Amino acid sequence: MSETQAHPGFDINGIIRHQRNRYPVLLIDRVTAVDPGKSAQAVKCFTYNEWFFPGHFDDEPNVPGFVQIESLTQTFIMTFLCMEEYKGMKTNFVSINNVRFRRKIVPGDVLRIEAKLTSFKRGLAIGSVESFVGEEPACSGDFVVAVPDILDRYKPRS
Amino acid sequence: MSNRETYDSAFTETFMIEAKDLPGLKYQGVAAWDSVGHMALMAALEEAFGIEMDIDDIIEFSGYEAGQAILSKYNVAIEPAA
Repeated sequence: MSETQAHPGFDINGIIRHQRNRYPVLLIDRVTAVDPGKSAQAVKCFTYNEWFFPGHFDDEPNVPGFVQIESLTQTFIMTFLCMEEYKGMKTNFVSINNVRFRRKIVPGDVLRIEAKLTSFKRGLAIGSVESFVGEEPACSGDFVVAVPDILDRYKPRS
Repeated sequence: MSNRETYDSAFTETFMIEAKDLPGLKYQGVAAWDSVGHMALMAALEEAFGIEMDIDDIIEFSGYEAGQAILSKYNVAIEPAA
């Protein structure tokens, strides 16, 4: 896609139309850029009103690792769910590797997430995701995600 | 490595099973050979043999023995078991 025709991304209503995660586990606020089939960028703004901060922890609120991973994943799946033929499909984790947590994320932080799709074939999406707070690296990892509705098309006949 | 060894390795490494478990193995015969595992096996075989399988062949690939006949369509001959 040329720069002059760059996809504008999605606001929260656009995200909801394209993926199935909902409160309390819809964990990106805006898709700021997307190159269908190649990459996506998103932001997640963490406020003290998040449901997990009172429990993690009451004296030192910070974003749990699984929430960070889910934010990265939801950005990653937008690399292909943004395409009309895959819009709204549910996804499952297959594997997560090389995960690094480089920075504590606290109320007031804005997590900027950059996802790259390196392969999307027969319902298996493979790629890598990085995230940042300001210019500081935060969580990153390599992801493999399955799309069951597509996998089912290739199941052997019994 | 012979085609037989390459073929067997795709199964044993994808599904984390032993070679003795391969004869008679069918789709969903082990927990790891589910729909996700099937795609992983197809990808492993395609990479190992440098082929790209048709959708119909992927669907017909229902077991260890059936797969050998399917690969012959792609000029991949699996030698008889020793």
